[in-house]
Amino acid sequence: MSKANFKTLHLRGLCKRFGECTVLENAGFELHSGEVHALLGENGAGKSTLMNLLTGVYVPDQGEIVLDGQPCSIRKPADAMAHGIGMVHQHYRLVERFSVAENLVLAADRAPELQRLSVAAKALQETAEQLGLALDPYARVADLSVAERQRAEICKVLALGAHILILDEPTAVLTDTESESLLAAIQRMANAGKGVILITHKLREVVAHSDRVTILRQGRAVASNLATESLTQADIAQLMMGDVAVSQRQPSNLQTNGPDLLVATGLSASRNDGSTAISNIGIRLRRGEIVGVAGVGGHGQPQLCEALMGLLPIDSGSIQLDGFQISQCSVSQRRSYGLRYIPADRATNALALDLPVSDNLALTKVASGSKGRFWISRKGLFQDAQNTITEHRIAGASPQGLTRLLSGGNAQKLVLARELDNDCVVAITHSPTRGLDVKSCGTVHTALRELTSRGGAVLLISEDLEEIMTLSDRILVMNTGCITGELPGTASASEIGALMIGGH
Amino acid sequence: MAFQFALQRRANTSFLRSSLTFSGGLLLGLLLCVALLIQAGVPADMLFDDLVWQVFFQADGLAQTLTLSIPLILAGLSAALALRVKFWNIGIEGQLWLGAIAAMAVSIYGVGSDSYRWALMLVAAMAGGTLWIAVPLWLKERFHASELVVTLLLSNVAFQLMLHLLFGAWRDPTQSFPISPAISEPERLLKLGFGNLHTGLFASIGMVFLVMWIMERSRLGFQSRILGSNRQVAEASGIAVGTTLVVMVLLSGAMAGLAGGLLVAGTEYRLTQHLGWNMTFSGIVIAFIARFRPFWVLPVAVVLAGVYNAGATLKVFYGLTEATVLLMQGIVLLSLLWCQFIAAFSIDRRQEVSV
Repeated sequence: MSKANFKTLHLRGLCKRFGECTVLENAGFELHSGEVHALLGENGAGKSTLMNLLTGVYVPDQGEIVLDGQPCSIRKPADAMAHGIGMVHQHYRLVERFSVAENLVLAADRAPELQRLSVAAKALQETAEQLGLALDPYARVADLSVAERQRAEICKVLALGAHILILDEPTAVLTDTESESLLAAIQRMANAGKGVILITHKLREVVAHSDRVTILRQGRAVASNLATESLTQADIAQLMMGDVAVSQRQPSNLQTNGPDLLVATGLSASRNDGSTAISNIGIRLRRGEIVGVAGVGGHGQPQLCEALMGLLPIDSGSIQLDGFQISQCSVSQRRSYGLRYIPADRATNALALDLPVSDNLALTKVASGSKGRFWISRKGLFQDAQNTITEHRIAGASPQGLTRLLSGGNAQKLVLARELDNDCVVAITHSPTRGLDVKSCGTVHTALRELTSRGGAVLLISEDLEEIMTLSDRILVMNTGCITGELPGTASASEIGALMIGGH
Repeated sequence: MAFQFALQRRANTSFLRSSLTFSGGLLLGLLLCVALLIQAGVPADMLFDDLVWQVFFQADGLAQTLTLSIPLILAGLSAALALRVKFWNIGIEGQLWLGAIAAMAVSIYGVGSDSYRWALMLVAAMAGGTLWIAVPLWLKERFHASELVVTLLLSNVAFQLMLHLLFGAWRDPTQSFPISPAISEPERLLKLGFGNLHTGLFASIGMVFLVMWIMERSRLGFQSRILGSNRQVAEASGIAVGTTLVVMVLLSGAMAGLAGGLLVAGTEYRLTQHLGWNMTFSGIVIAFIARFRPFWVLPVAVVLAGVYNAGATLKVFYGLTEATVLLMQGIVLLSLLWCQFIAAFSIDRRQEVSV
C-alpha cells in the first residue's frame, strides 16, 4: 500500500509448453503505471497461462518479465506478490467463515503490520474509500453477495500492496449496474497510478474502459499494446477470431431435406446452485447434417450437452430422438436409441484415465449389456480393443496399457472410436478438438463427416469459431443460455461474432 | 547442466514384478524388524526362529497363523469391495459384530435343526453385516451423509448392542465374565486336525475366489471398476451407477458379517466382547497392500496374521511392550506399501529445462 508505484512492466517473448503441447509462444506486452490494459482471446488462446506466468503459478520456458528495467524472476506466487503483482481470480480466494479483515490478516504473511485485525480493517476501509466502493471489513464473507466478495478480494489484494492488478473476467458474474460501478473503480485505480490488466470477453467494456489492448490467438500475441481509441468492436472481434477460411467446407448432400433426427423444444435447465443454465432452447437436427452451436465459453454449453444426454434434469421442454420421446429416459436408454456424447473435457467426462485402454473402449458396450449380460470375457475385451486400436490407428495404445499415457490426440481417437460406432445416430460433441494439434483435428473432423455421410447427424457445440465454420451446415448462436440466432453454414465470422457478442 | 529425477508411471505392472516386489517388501520389513528387535535386546540367534520359523513353518505356529488369517481375509475383501466403488467402510468391526450377534441369535433361539444350523448361522451373519452397512449406504445416497462418519459411529452402536446382550439377556449365568453361553457341539465348525484350524478357512478362501470372479470377470465388477475410477464417466456412459454401488457395498458388509459368524462358529464358540478388534484397520491395510485385487488379499492377510502371531509370542517371551510390537507391524506394512509404489513407477533421470 505504501510502496511506490511501478513505472512499466514488460513481458517479453514468453513461451510455455506442456509436454508436446505449446500453449504460449513468444507472447508478451507492456503495462504502464496508470493504464488499464485489456487482455483478449478466445478460450484456450493462452490468457490464463500468460497470467499464471506473471503470478508465479508456472515458470516460463523462455522469455523474461522485466519490471522497471530490472528482470525479475517469478518462480512462485509469493515472488509475484513481493513484486506487487496481485490477481483477482474468477473464483475468489476467500475463507467464507472469516470476516473480510480476517481474510486480509490471513494473507498478510509478508506485511506484519497488517496482522493486527484493527489495522487490517482500517487498510481495507481506506482502500475501499479510495476506489469509491462500499465495504464492511467486519462482515463475514459467507454473508456477502458475489459483487461484495469481489470488492473484498480486490481491496484485499490492493491492501497487500499490489500495484499491478490482474482481474480475470471480473464482470462475468455481475449485473449491469454492479459492472458499471466496478469499471468506475478500475478507472480510479488506474488514475491512482496502479496498472490494471483486465481479462474480459465483453468487447464493449474493452472499447469503453481500457487504454490499450493485447489479443492472443492460439498462444501467440496477434496484436500487442494497440491503443483502444483507434479500434471498434468489429476490429477487435476480427483480430480475436482471425480470418477464418471457409473454403474447406464440404456440404453434404442430404442436409437440406432429410428427416429430423433430434428435435429439442423449449429446453430449460438449472445448475446445481439453482441459477438458470439454459432456457427455452430449440434445436432441430436433420439426417446428414452437422449443426454448429457457436458461443463464448461459459454460456451454458456443458449444461446443454448434459441436458440432451440425460445427465442434467430438465426443468421444462421436450427432446425427441429419431421420433422417440426421450426427455424422461435414462442415459442408457438414450444411448440405446443411438445418442452418443463426446464431451469437452476428455479427462474428466469421457475417460477413466487410471484404467486400461481396453476398459475405456468397452465401457459403453458393457453398460448396455452387449458384451455379456452377467459375465465379461477379458480376452474378448482385449481382442476387440486390439482390433479397434489397429483400425483407428491409435498410436501408443495397447489393450492393457494405461489410458493416462495416451497423448491428447490419441485419447480423443479412442473416444471417437467408442462413441461413433455403427449404432450411433446422433452425436452430441462439445469442443471435440480442444487442445489437439492440426493433424488430430483433421482426424476428428473426418470422423464427424463420416457419421453424417452414413445417415447420422452431429450437434457441434464449440467455442472455436473456426471449427464451427469449417464443419457446420447450419450455425446456431448461443448466448447466456439461449439460442440467439441461426445462420447458414456460409455465414462470415463477423456475422457470427456480432450475434455472439450481441446483448452486451 | 542440472539433472532432475522424475517418477514415471509404468504402463502396466507384470505379475512377476508384483510378486518380486511383494517378497522384497516383506524381506525388507523383516530385516528392519530384526534390527529393531536386536536393539530392544532380543538375542539375535532366536530371531529368525521366532519371527519366521515358528510363525510360518512350524506346525503349531502355522496353524495359529492360518486361524488368525480367516477373519483377516474377509475383512480385507470387505474393504476392497467397498473401496472399489470409493465407499469408505470404516465400520468393518461394526458389521462383524452384527454378524456375530446374528449368528449367535440363530444358535440361542435354535432356528432350524441341529444338522444344518451352522450354515444358517453363517447366512444370518452375512445378513447381519449387510443390514448394518445398508444404513450408511442409504443415508449416503439419500442425504449425502458421509459414510466415513456413519460407518465408524455405527460400529460403536453395534458394540454397545453387543454389550447390552452380553450383560443382559444372553449372559451365561454359569460364568463370572459377561459372555454368552457356548454354542452346542453340532453348531461348531469342524476342526481340520491342525491346531485350532477349522473349516472356516475354506469359507474364507471360497469367498476370495467368489469376489475375484465378481470383480475380474463379471459385468458388475467391470462397472464397479469404472465407477470407482471416475463416476462422471460411468454416468455418461450409461452404467447403472446406483445398482453397482449398492451391490458392491452390500457385499462388503456381508463379508465383514461372515467374519463375525466364523469367529463365533469356528474359533470362540460364543459371543464375547473381545471378538474382531482392529478388523477395520487391518482390513483397510490389507486391501491397500493388495491394491484392491481380491487374489492378493489372501497372501497379504496370511502375512499380516503371521506378524500378529509373532507379535503375541514376542510379547510373552521377551516382555516386549505393546508399542514395540505395533511398531514392528507398522514397519512391515510400510515397507510392503513402499515397495509396491516402487513397482508401479520407474525412476527417470532427465535434463532440466533451462529457463
